[in-house]
Amino acid sequence: MIQFLLKGILRDRSRSLLPIIITALGVGLTVLLSGYMKGAFGDVIDQNARFETGHVKIMTQAYAENKDQIPNDLSLLEASKWVETLHTEFAEMQWIQRIKFGGLIDVPDADGNTKAQGPASGMALQLFDTNSGENERMNIEASLVIGTIPEKSGEAIIGHDFAAKLNLKLGDEITFFGSTMNGSMTFKTFVISGTIKFGTSVMDKGALLIDISDAQLMLDMENATGEILGYLKSGVYNEEVVSKITSTFNNKYKNTDEFSPEMFTLREQNNLASMLDYGDVMSGLVIFIFVLAMSIVLWNTGLLGGLRRYQEFGIRLALGEAKSKIYGSMVLESVLIGIIGSALGTVIGLALTYYMQVVGIDISSYLESSSMIMPSIIRAKVTPELFYIGFIPGVLAMVFGTMLAGIGIYKRETATLFKELEV
Amino acid sequence: MKNTIINLKNITKRFKVGDGEFTALNNINLNFQKGEFAGFVGPSGSGKTTLLNIIGSLDSPSEGQALVMGKDVAKLSHRESADLRNYHIGFIFQVYNLLPVYTVYENVEFALLLQNHTKAERHKMVMEALDWVGLTDLADKKPDRISGGEGQRVAIARAMVKRPEILIADEPTANLDAENAHIILKMMKRLNDELNTTFLFSTHDEKVMQYMERIVHLRDGEVEKDSIIVAEKDK
Ligand SMILES: Nc1ncnc2c1ncn2[C@@H]1O[C@H](COP(=O)(O)OP(=O)(O)OP(=O)(O)O)[C@@H](O)[C@H]1O
Ligand SMILES: [Mg+2]
Repeated sequence: MIQFLLKGILRDRSRSLLPIIITALGVGLTVLLSGYMKGAFGDVIDQNARFETGHVKIMTQAYAENKDQIPNDLSLLEASKWVETLHTEFAEMQWIQRIKFGGLIDVPDADGNTKAQGPASGMALQLFDTNSGENERMNIEASLVIGTIPEKSGEAIIGHDFAAKLNLKLGDEITFFGSTMNGSMTFKTFVISGTIKFGTSVMDKGALLIDISDAQLMLDMENATGEILGYLKSGVYNEEVVSKITSTFNNKYKNTDEFSPEMFTLREQNNLASMLDYGDVMSGLVIFIFVLAMSIVLWNTGLLGGLRRYQEFGIRLALGEAKSKIYGSMVLESVLIGIIGSALGTVIGLALTYYMQVVGIDISSYLESSSMIMPSIIRAKVTPELFYIGFIPGVLAMVFGTMLAGIGIYKRETATLFKELEV
Repeated sequence: MKNTIINLKNITKRFKVGDGEFTALNNINLNFQKGEFAGFVGPSGSGKTTLLNIIGSLDSPSEGQALVMGKDVAKLSHRESADLRNYHIGFIFQVYNLLPVYTVYENVEFALLLQNHTKAERHKMVMEALDWVGLTDLADKKPDRISGGEGQRVAIARAMVKRPEILIADEPTANLDAENAHIILKMMKRLNDELNTTFLFSTHDEKVMQYMERIVHLRDGEVEKDSIIVAEKDK
């Protein structure tokens, strides 16, 4: 019988084409939108993790409370001891140190007088330590517009637009003015080894990148660090693993001393929790709306299709098929059509998602004034989940729509249905 | 040897029309024997189709009892009446008889799918039925590629392939020309002779009536006349 139904579906285009197109369209859009949202939210989170939050971050409690002010006076001491402990106790993660600092950049002319000045937002990374993975993590080398990564003390990378504003070129000298960990004034001269453009306005504005050893020297932070960041070696954020590590660490090392360290998961930082949840809610909502809309449309096409097929139902009744069986075969047929349409839609959706993963949408012009770390090109992402996220709702919508439509036919008297045969 | 296959007792059928009721059949009493070749004749609206639908267990009477193959049509469940049609009754209609997406062969085979037969059995039965109506050559054609007369012959093959005891044909020739009407009636008469199937027709058509061995005249839902025609064979 299934074979017969399949033949009917394939041969009677008018019966199957519209539902297949509708299902394919709905499923394709669901897949694309889910993939796009997954990609967008994933990118934002990933970007935040790389540049800002890590998968986990350790700060002193006092630093954490005031972290917007970059309170280096509240830094974590004995940094190397902590990193060592972390490496032994949580080997599944890579641990690195970063120091953020603010200050002023001064460009002297030949006589040593100020030629140009600007506020700098500095970040000190383990640049000299190639095992730290910071270059790859923050995509520094590829983001350089000109020059190279600092290789020795006294070299710095500066934001490309910042450099243009200050009229700087490769090899020029700049002087950084700021305050040390203890609050006294400090300054240090750097040679520009390269200019950089991350494509994220928060990161690019007044950017100054130096090695962490230079920062510790300059800011009087010997063996101290603002933050220790942990990254899962798999590279993929995993809430479960990370919260376990975090609670283990905090149970063991966090105490009432405000200079004791506290670990935070990515989720707990920068409102990323609400972002992650928002992503899930949005995906759910999109799928729900599509299923509902598709069901309603398919219900109506089912009704129309059913009307056109009264003749067929009449013949089948006369041949001795029970009404319940005819209803059953309609539903079965809808499963087949649903599968064909959903499979088609999934393939189309995946193809479009893949295309959007490669191409993406450039939103950099909207990001000029954004204070969030966001990638400037939003890309979709093909994930395993996309293979069923549209498929299952697509089949369900088709079956659901047909069942609704079929009830009307089912409820009619046999003789009434049969009447349709008389012309 | 008499063998009553259809027994109608005091059949009355009323339809709701607006607030009132319309009596389509009024106190019909009739018996049909196995192998009869009988027709209901009467003006439009006299109740021919309504009566055939009750006999075919597509509808049930408002009053009275319709025994078909010994079963009381009014008391059958949906499934039981479907089974009665599946195994014992064949239908032929005026028009639109065939499922357009399936070939001639598949249309006939469809009837067999509701029973349990192997593919090989089905093939044998379908080809035999197509042979009865002389259409084995058209097995792979779609209904829109054959003529109206051929279509009606396929319908006969489909109705007969299960070898039902009763065949109900509601104005089978209404859309056919004289030549095709004669061809079809001759075929049905031959099957009636060979398989001893009971044939029940409804018709306005003189050409059909001349083949009948019994004619029941209906008027306003009542039996006006019930006449047995002495068979003058080999016309
Ligand atoms: N479902 C129904 N509801 C109301 N009235 C009906 C219904 N079915 C049939 N009738 C009425 O019952 C009467 C008999 O109808 P029926 O179809 O049996 O006539 P018929 O003899 O087959 O006519 P025709 O030669 O035109 O086919 C008609 O007046 C018809 O309008
Ligand atoms: Mg009629």
